[in-house]
Amino acid sequence: MSPLSLIFLIIGGPAALGLVYIFVRGSAGLRRYIVTRIALTLPMVFILASLVFFVLRVIPGDPVSSALGPKGSPETVARLSEQLGLGDPLLVQYGRFLGSVVTLDFGNSLTGAHRPIVDEMSERFPATLELVIPAAILSLAIGIFGGAFAASRRRRTADYSLRLYSVIIYSLPIFWLGLMLQLLFGVKLGWLPIAGRVDAVIGTTLHHITNIYSIDAILTGNWPALRSVLAHLVLPTLTLGLILSGVFVRLTRINVIETLQQDYVEAARARGIRERVVIYNHALKNAMIPVITLIGLQVAILLAGAVLTETVFSWPGMGRYLVERISSRDYTAVQSVITMFALFVALISLAVDILYSLVDPRVRY
Amino acid sequence: MEDILYSVRDLNVRYATRSGDVHAVDDVSLDIRRGEILGLVGESGCGKSTFGKAIMRMIRTPGRIDSGELWFDGADLMTYSGRQMQSVRGGEIGMVFQDPMTSLNPVQRVSEHLTETIRTHEPKVSELAATARAEELVEKLGIRRERLDDYPHQLSGGMRQRVMISLALALRAKLVIADEPTTSLDVIVEAKFLDLLRELRDEFDLTILMITHNIGVVAEVADRVAVMYAGRMAEIGDVYGVFAEPKHPYTVGLLNSVPNIDLDAHDLYKMEGAPPNLLSPPSGCPFHPRCPKAMDICAVEIPVLHEVVPGQATACWLYDEVGVAGG
Amino acid sequence: MALQTPTSHEQEWREDLRKVGFVRRLLAGRRWYGTDWWLVAISAVMVLGFITLALFPSVFAPYSPDEQAGPRFLAPGASPDLPVLVSLATSGITELADLAVPTGEPRPSVGVVRGVPTAQALNDRAQELNQELNGTGMELRPRIARFDSLDELLRAVDDGTVVAAVVQSTEFEQLAGDFPTVGEGMSIAGGVSSEGGFILGTNQIGQDVFSRLIWGTRIALLIGFSASIIALVVGVPLGLLAGFTGGMLDRILSVIMDSLYAFPGLILAISITAVLGPSVLNVIVAIAVLYIPTYYRIVRGQTLSVKEELYIEAARSIGARSSEILRKYIYPNVIPSVAIIFSVNVADAILTGAGLSFLGLGLPPDTADWGIDLARGQGFIQNAWWLITFPGFAIMLVVLAFTMMGEGLMEIFNPKLRQR
Repeated sequence: MSPLSLIFLIIGGPAALGLVYIFVRGSAGLRRYIVTRIALTLPMVFILASLVFFVLRVIPGDPVSSALGPKGSPETVARLSEQLGLGDPLLVQYGRFLGSVVTLDFGNSLTGAHRPIVDEMSERFPATLELVIPAAILSLAIGIFGGAFAASRRRRTADYSLRLYSVIIYSLPIFWLGLMLQLLFGVKLGWLPIAGRVDAVIGTTLHHITNIYSIDAILTGNWPALRSVLAHLVLPTLTLGLILSGVFVRLTRINVIETLQQDYVEAARARGIRERVVIYNHALKNAMIPVITLIGLQVAILLAGAVLTETVFSWPGMGRYLVERISSRDYTAVQSVITMFALFVALISLAVDILYSLVDPRVRY
Repeated sequence: MEDILYSVRDLNVRYATRSGDVHAVDDVSLDIRRGEILGLVGESGCGKSTFGKAIMRMIRTPGRIDSGELWFDGADLMTYSGRQMQSVRGGEIGMVFQDPMTSLNPVQRVSEHLTETIRTHEPKVSELAATARAEELVEKLGIRRERLDDYPHQLSGGMRQRVMISLALALRAKLVIADEPTTSLDVIVEAKFLDLLRELRDEFDLTILMITHNIGVVAEVADRVAVMYAGRMAEIGDVYGVFAEPKHPYTVGLLNSVPNIDLDAHDLYKMEGAPPNLLSPPSGCPFHPRCPKAMDICAVEIPVLHEVVPGQATACWLYDEVGVAGG
Repeated sequence: MALQTPTSHEQEWREDLRKVGFVRRLLAGRRWYGTDWWLVAISAVMVLGFITLALFPSVFAPYSPDEQAGPRFLAPGASPDLPVLVSLATSGITELADLAVPTGEPRPSVGVVRGVPTAQALNDRAQELNQELNGTGMELRPRIARFDSLDELLRAVDDGTVVAAVVQSTEFEQLAGDFPTVGEGMSIAGGVSSEGGFILGTNQIGQDVFSRLIWGTRIALLIGFSASIIALVVGVPLGLLAGFTGGMLDRILSVIMDSLYAFPGLILAISITAVLGPSVLNVIVAIAVLYIPTYYRIVRGQTLSVKEELYIEAARSIGARSSEILRKYIYPNVIPSVAIIFSVNVADAILTGAGLSFLGLGLPPDTADWGIDLARGQGFIQNAWWLITFPGFAIMLVVLAFTMMGEGLMEIFNPKLRQR
C-alpha cells in the first residue's frame, strides 16, 4: 500500500466517521449546513482543476517537445504525444483529465525518471505534511495567545509590541527568514542542520512506512533517527510557523477587541467574574469563532509558504517538487501537483467549515 | 429614620475624549433606602446609566470616578480593592442589563451562566450543588428547569430577561440595579416583568434601582423617583408627590411630554431646545437655556439640591430663598 | 455694506490661510490619532524614499549593477585587496601604462613577490594593454623579477633595481612606513582605486552589493505598483458591477473569485509565469491576477452594504439615476478601503514577486533583483553571509513601509476599532 494511500486512510477514515456521526446526531439545521458546504466545495475544486487544465493548454507549442527539449527525437515526441492523447480534441482530453483527478491516477512524469506521478507524490506529500502541521500548530499557538494578550492590554506597551511583531513578521520574506535562521543556527552557531529531512547516514537506517519520518522513527523505535529528524525539523518549522503567526496575532487581536466591546463581557464583569476568566473563557471563546473560518483561508498561505520553505531548506516535499517540475517543463506533473493542491485546500476549507458549525451553537441548534 | 442601604455622596464621573473631558455625573448625591424601588429617569445621555455603572465601580477608561463616596451597607466602596469589589459585584449588588440578547454569552448555556456565577463567589460549592440552586432559582422566576440546557438564542425575549434577573439574584444580592430593563420588551411582557419585579422584591427582600427613560414604568413600580439632567440631580422624591406636583421645570416638561390618549395630535407638548453638549455645558444651572422659568441667577450659579416639601427635594432657584428674592 | 470685490491683498491672505489650514490640520492629526499618525507619517516618508531610489538609482548607486567592479566575495567594509603598482615617488610612474616604452628600447623590470598571484594579474593586464598599443610604436612588455619577500622587493624599488613593483595594497600599507620614498599608484586592474567603496561588499562575480540593492528597488517597485494597479483597475469595476447588479452575473463572478482567492497565491503566480514564460511583464500580469479577487471582494461587499441602505433612499428620491447613486454614495465609502488595500497590496505584490524570482521563475536571469540575488547567494552561505543578508533586508524594509502605511491608515479610518 503506497504511503499516500495510507495517509489518506489515516486522516480520511476517522474524519469520514466523524462526519457521519455528526450528521446522524446533529439537528436538521446542522445537516443542511454540512450538505451545503460539501456542495459548495465541489464546484471550487472543479473550477480550479479546470483552470489549471485550460491554462496549461494555452502554452504555445507542443508541451511534449518542449519538455523533452533537443534530446527528443521526432519519433519519441510522436510516441509520447500519442500516449498522452494530445492529438485528441480538447473536450476529450478534458474528460480524460477529470477522470484522472477522480481516480488520482495522473500518469507518468514527462521528464526525468518517467515514474508514475502518484508515486513521486507519495514520497513528497508526507514530507510536506510533516513540515506543515507542526508549523500550523506553532503559528496558531503564538497567534491566538499573543493576540488575546495584546487585546487585553490594549494601547499599552504589550499591545504595541505585539502589533509591531506581527507587522514585521508579515513583511519578512519567508525565504529570507529561513536563510537568516540557517545562517545563525546552522552556519555561525552550528547547532542545527540546514538542509534535508534527516542525516544522510542515519537516514539509511530508517524504515519507511508512512513516509512521515518522525512517525516512522517512533514506530520502528529508531531513536537516533528520531533525533536527527527532529533536529532537521526545527528550523523549517520555525520559519513557516513564525511567519504565519503574524497573521494570526493580528486576526485574533482584532476579533478579541471587538468581542470585548460586547455587552455580555460587561455583564460577566458585573457578576464579579475575574478579568482573566472574562478574557480567556468568555471573550476568546467567542472571538475564536470567526477566527476558525479564517484558518481555512490561511491554509493557502501555508502552502505558499511551504513551497518557499522547502526550497530554502532543500526539503523534499510537494512544494519543491512543483518548482522542479516547472523548471524541467514537465507539464503533466505540474498539472497534477496543482490539482492536488486545489483538492487539499478545498478539503481543509470544508473541514474548517464543519468544525465551525460544531463550535458555534447558533448554527448547531 | 429610614434605613439607608446605599448612600452616594458627591459623585463625580468624567470621561476623557479627544475633544476634552465630559462631566458625565456632576456632584450627584443619592440615598437608596432599603427595600424600596427607586426609579432614576432622564433623557438619553443625562448620565443615569453612567451613574448606575459608577455605583458598582464599573467605569473603565477613558472614564473615571473623580471623587465621591459610595457608602454601601456601612462601607465606602471607594476604599475597596479590586478583589473586594469583585465579590461585591454579583454578590451584594447585581445588575440587570438592557438588551438580554447581547448581555448573555452566546456560546454558553444558561445553566453555565448561573453555575459559573455561583462558583466564582462560592468556590466551595460543587458543580452539582450549583446546578441544583440554579434550577430552584429559575423555577421561582417561571422558567422550566429543562430550559437551563438551552443557549441564549433559543429563548424568547421575556425569558432571557428573566434569566438576567436570576443571574442578579443568584447570590442573594441586596441591591439590584436594572438598567433600562424593559426597553427591548413589548408592552405585555413588560407588564409581566414589572409584576415579577414587585414579587421578587417582596420575596427576596430586594432593593431595586430602576434606571429608565420610560416614565410610565416608573409610575407603575417605583416608590420614589429621581430625575437627572445633564449629569446633575434635578429632583427626587416620593413618586406620587413628584408626579402630582413636580417642582423642577424639567420634571414638569418631562411629565407633560407623556402623551395622553385624550389629547389631540397638535396638543402634544414638546420641550424647547435640545439636550446640552456635555463637552461645553451651559454655565450655572444646565437646564436654564431651555427653562421657561429661567431667571438671571440661573445662568450664573448652580442650584443645590434641597428639600422643598417633606419627601421631595429639588435643585432649582425657584425654590431657593436667594433665587426667589433675587428674581 | 456695499459689496466689494476682494482686493488682491485679501485674496493672497485668504490663500495663505488655506495653506496654513491644511498643514495645521495635518499636524493637528498628530495629537488626535497619536501613534497611528506617526506610523503613517514615518512609513509615508519611507515610501517616498524608496520611490526616489527606484526612479533615480544611478544617483545613489556608486556602480552599475552589472558592472563587475571589484574583487569577488569582498566582505562589507573591507577594502579590496587589489594589486597596485608601487614605484619611487619621484619617478612619476603611477599606472601600468606608464611603463610602456618605444619598441626596441630596453624593457623595464617590474618586481613581484614570489608565490603571490600578482604576477599573473600583472601579465594579463600587461598583455591587454599591449594589445591596445599595437601599431603605436610603443610596447608594454615588462620584465618580471621575483623576490623572496615584500621587504626585499620594496628595497629593490627604493634603490632602483626595479623600476616598479606590483603588490597587494593591504600588504603594502603595512610596510609603507618603512619605505617613505615609495609611493602607491593605481590599481593595475584598470582604473579602480583601492579606495573604491564597496560598503556592503561584492558578490560572487564582483558586482557591488550596495548598487544592486539600489537598482533592485526599481524592479521591486515596478512590479509591486504595476501589479496592484492592474488588479485594482480590473477588480474594482468588477466588484462594483457585481455588487450593484447582483443576480446571475454576481453569482458566477463570485464563485470564480472565491476559488481564486482561496487558492495559494504564490502557486497560482508560479503556474501563470510558468505558462507565459520569464519576463517582467508576465510576472506583473501573474501577480495582478492574484490580487484581482481581493479588490473584487472588498468593493463588492461595500457596494452591497451601501446598496441595502440606498434602496430605501432611492425609492424616496425618485429620479436619482444609478450613476449618480454610484458616484455620490458608493464611491466615498469604497475609496478609503481601496486606498488601504492598495497599500497593503503593493507590499504583498513585492513579496510575491521576490518569492517568484527567488524560485528562479519569472524574471530573466540577468535582472538586478533582490530575489535573484538571494537565490544565488544561498550557495555561498558558508563564507559570504552578506550576500543573503542585505537583499532580504531590503525586501523587508520596503514591504514594511507599505504595510505600516496600510496599517496606520486602517486604524485611522476604521471606526469599529476606535475605543468607545
